[in-house]
Amino acid sequence: MNDYTPPDGYRGALLERLVKEGLRTWSVVRATKGNAVFEGILLPRSAHTDDRILNLKTQDTYYNIGILIDDNVKLEEIGYREGHYKVPDVEAEYKKELPDVTLLGTGGTVASRLDYRTGAVLPAFTPQELFSAVPELMDMVNLSPKILYQILSENFTPEYWVQTAKAVAKEIEGGADGVIIGHGTDTMGISSAYLSFALKNLPVPVVFVGSQRSSDRPSSDGPYNIMNAASLAGYGDLAEVVVCMHGTTSDNYNLIHRGTRVRKMHSSRRDAFRTISDIPLGKIDLDQNITFFKNDVAPRQKGREDFILDAKYDDRVAMLYSHPGMHVDMLHGVLDKGYHGVIIIGTGLAHVGSNMYEPLERAQEMEIPVVMVVQPMFGYAQLRVYETGREMLARGAIEGGNMLPETAFAKLIWTLGHTKEIEEVKKMMQTPYAHEITQSEPNRGYSFFQGIEPGIDNFYERM
Amino acid sequence: MLDPNNLDWKALGFTAGLEVHHQLQTDRKLFCNCTTNLLSTVNTKPDYTFVRYFRAVLGEMGDYDAGMLVEYEKKYQVIYHSYDHLCTYEMDETPPFWPNMKAIEHGFDLAFLFNCSAFVDELQVNRKQYLDGSITTGFQRTMTVARDGYVPLSNGKKVRIPNILVEEDAARKVKTENDGRTVYYNLDRLGVPLVEIITNNEDIETPQELQETAYLIGLGLRTTGIGKRGLGTVRQDVNISIRGGDRVELKGVQDLRKFEEICAREVVRQHALIEITQELKNRSTPDEKRTPFIFVDLTHLFEELVEGEKRVLGIKLPNFNGLIGKEIQPGKDLGIDMIEKAELITGLDKRLMAHSDELQDEAIRKKGTNIPELILSLNTTNDAEIRTILDMSEKDAYVLALGPQERAIHALNKIQGRAFAAYDGVPQETRRVTKDLNSEFLRVIHGKDRIYPDTDTPPIMVEPELIEKLAAKKRTAPWSMVNCLGKKGFSLEEIGLIIRDDRISTFHELVVAGFEPRKIFSLIIEVVRNLSRKNILAESLTVDDFKAVLALEKEGKIGYSFIAKLLEYYLSGSHENFVAYWKENEEKVINETDWKPIIEEIVRSIPEELVEKTTNQKVGWIFSQFNTQTSFKFYNNNEVANTIRGLLQE
Repeated sequence: MNDYTPPDGYRGALLERLVKEGLRTWSVVRATKGNAVFEGILLPRSAHTDDRILNLKTQDTYYNIGILIDDNVKLEEIGYREGHYKVPDVEAEYKKELPDVTLLGTGGTVASRLDYRTGAVLPAFTPQELFSAVPELMDMVNLSPKILYQILSENFTPEYWVQTAKAVAKEIEGGADGVIIGHGTDTMGISSAYLSFALKNLPVPVVFVGSQRSSDRPSSDGPYNIMNAASLAGYGDLAEVVVCMHGTTSDNYNLIHRGTRVRKMHSSRRDAFRTISDIPLGKIDLDQNITFFKNDVAPRQKGREDFILDAKYDDRVAMLYSHPGMHVDMLHGVLDKGYHGVIIIGTGLAHVGSNMYEPLERAQEMEIPVVMVVQPMFGYAQLRVYETGREMLARGAIEGGNMLPETAFAKLIWTLGHTKEIEEVKKMMQTPYAHEITQSEPNRGYSFFQGIEPGIDNFYERM
Repeated sequence: MLDPNNLDWKALGFTAGLEVHHQLQTDRKLFCNCTTNLLSTVNTKPDYTFVRYFRAVLGEMGDYDAGMLVEYEKKYQVIYHSYDHLCTYEMDETPPFWPNMKAIEHGFDLAFLFNCSAFVDELQVNRKQYLDGSITTGFQRTMTVARDGYVPLSNGKKVRIPNILVEEDAARKVKTENDGRTVYYNLDRLGVPLVEIITNNEDIETPQELQETAYLIGLGLRTTGIGKRGLGTVRQDVNISIRGGDRVELKGVQDLRKFEEICAREVVRQHALIEITQELKNRSTPDEKRTPFIFVDLTHLFEELVEGEKRVLGIKLPNFNGLIGKEIQPGKDLGIDMIEKAELITGLDKRLMAHSDELQDEAIRKKGTNIPELILSLNTTNDAEIRTILDMSEKDAYVLALGPQERAIHALNKIQGRAFAAYDGVPQETRRVTKDLNSEFLRVIHGKDRIYPDTDTPPIMVEPELIEKLAAKKRTAPWSMVNCLGKKGFSLEEIGLIIRDDRISTFHELVVAGFEPRKIFSLIIEVVRNLSRKNILAESLTVDDFKAVLALEKEGKIGYSFIAKLLEYYLSGSHENFVAYWKENEEKVINETDWKPIIEEIVRSIPEELVEKTTNQKVGWIFSQFNTQTSFKFYNNNEVANTIRGLLQE
């Protein structure tokens, strides 16, 4: 037992006991408790759970059970059975006639699997593993998966945006016909917004993709999302940063959303991603047919000489959510702490309470940009309609147009990386670079159904 | 083939196990707050629909389950019918809510009832993969609550129950289309809490033991009130093997009375497969069997059958001549069984496949009326050509498939795989019982590798207080109930009727109230059934109604034979209960002074042809006359009967 390693995740008295008895992960254990006898494979324990419980995978059914171990329980090792968690490898052969697409893995559910034993995200998919799980990919594109990092989407800080943008630029300069970014879904829309600003004059598609049901589930949306993303990246006549996720709860088509106009609008549904204040750019169906709905889609470019990586950033940006009764020190605190810019998600047309005029004035004096966007998500910031808005404008508040809050946040970080000069910042924040502010909002851009509209029953029956 | 009606179960080494899935009586689903009540019909028009596809995923030990890979090969498109009273959990669009603890409590309650010795301290939710679309997640959430129980049988044997689980029910299948590739499911049942009670596969050695085990488990679920009642609330699978065979799971075995026939047909099948294996071994050399066979295009021999892009492909099965046509179940040969499997996996209609033994006049599929054209087109001429093209010897057989090339190859591939497996005896399969009580391939038996932990729900500590509370609870074990009823002279079949009509608690209460068990049985089962047959809603009769009516009989106010009529009168009115009805109508009881003259008159008018009959027949006739003349009058039966007998003697 020289190479003995205690099983993962156990603590306290039970851990001591397991060590004393020489029990390891994969030991087949018999626990005798009065008349009750439990036999099973010892499995690691995940954190934040009761530390008196032993995890056993029963030998007859492979079900996991938890057994409370106290001094009256007799433990013995009756065997050892090691598991090897590995997707069978499949070698993909390079096909000259297929486009070259790079998949950059950043963590998240499309390009990772969960380790059930510890609840941790397992290291990357190798190309072989990916092809084994989604063999259809092999006949669609020459896919080169590369792992950038393994992080959860809530930890995807601006520094990672920049690294990701640089990695994409490297692939484009290396001749990729398209790039896919596998990303956790929670903040996918923020990363896609930043990359929309940082990658200028794109020659090829840059497609963000993820899954709302993790790939360890037979019902995962991941396989179809990645196939659609691969197809879009390899063949789509498109050269923008987009998000490609399920269009409905069905596995029937994916929507293509502009990176700056997309928002996760449901915590768990497959069709959580929606284009806000506009219709989506296009869709791609199960047979990989691509349809564009907008006529201003930037087409794929042959040459790459115009492509510019402009991944500057300054992450000293705060974001505040305005509400009645908001204390002035919320904004004062931001100013005191030396932030370089603030996004305020204002009520209605982008208002704050009149008590906030005072810290706004202070921000104006300090030449700290305060950009106003709207809480209702749909529609424009309009500070000229009501008295409140005019008072805010007088104190230097910048109207953020119909930028989504998260897009405005990413854009201010990008902008402040270029200049801190307040008038220049204002000008850049109000200039659309990547459709983050649109000239107008089509009626269909607000398709927010309530489920009772005439004719909607037919729609749902065929959903 | 053995005679299924004359089997020596012991000599054949028959063993069986049972998996009982029973819905639990709870007001909400296991992992969401939707109702457990189902729609009146599975075909109810959906409020919305959606489409999904499924893929196999790895088990926790790092292997794909072989059964799951075959399921994936079926490439089902699944269309869900859903309804506004269901939520996004059933759609697999929302993570599970906290489990229904009442359902879990029921699981432990049953663990006590079925003598479990090992209770799980911390429940861990597991995922059991299903790729047939019956569950939107692609896995069933399920947890072991207790282990090592047993059911004692009347012959003294203890049938072990290794595991009791609480899990969610699957969706209901609506229909299939597109050669079975498109499957429709109704989501109303998905997530209803179930208990799964599994018996050891080796303990049951006769169909009678199997029947009794199923019966006792069902009885336990019903008498405790833990099981949900009504059609479709219980589903049973039976695992069967014989010596030299292997475990085969038969799904959808509902009617206890058919257990013996179903077991017999499976035993016969396994026995035949073992014989085939033996013969294949005799005919072959050891290295011969795994040589891959070649698919050959034979379209030119069947031009009249082929249209468009379709082809007829053939494959040689070495050593199978005469064996592929061997009957393995009444009315089914090995070839048909293989072809059914290929149909299920690939979607190629079984009528578009044929095997060489079907050239023979006595071939099974030639006996029916609707003989597939492909079989009819086989003749000695094209048979000889096929044999030449496929380079066959006399001991070889072939199988043909007609269809689009890709699908035909897929189907023949499956047949080749099944033919290889025939060298190894009985394949482990899950099979569906068909109407004729034979069975057909459903899927490769699901293995352990399809089980892996669910990371969506944290482990659930079982409170010791709950176990203490349940341990203290008084329970009447179903076997002692049966024993007790048996002593009162009721046959298993009669007990079965009480169970089937959900009258056991009523029965029990009336016995406790001091009424005679036979009379109770006759009233709550026979009388009620007869009334129901007349479309009278006898189900609305309550225990109190039965008590009241039996009390009247006991007190001699009405005769037993009048009870049915009386209840019919009551049920056709609108009284709140029987007591209220009786209060209103009690006065209609007529006394001896009123009825005696009428009886005397009838006795005097007995017709000639009755004079020769027995006393009982005469009494019967007199009663019927009397009932007609005294319509809607109550009288004391016993007194009337005694009077009639007295008058007749005179």
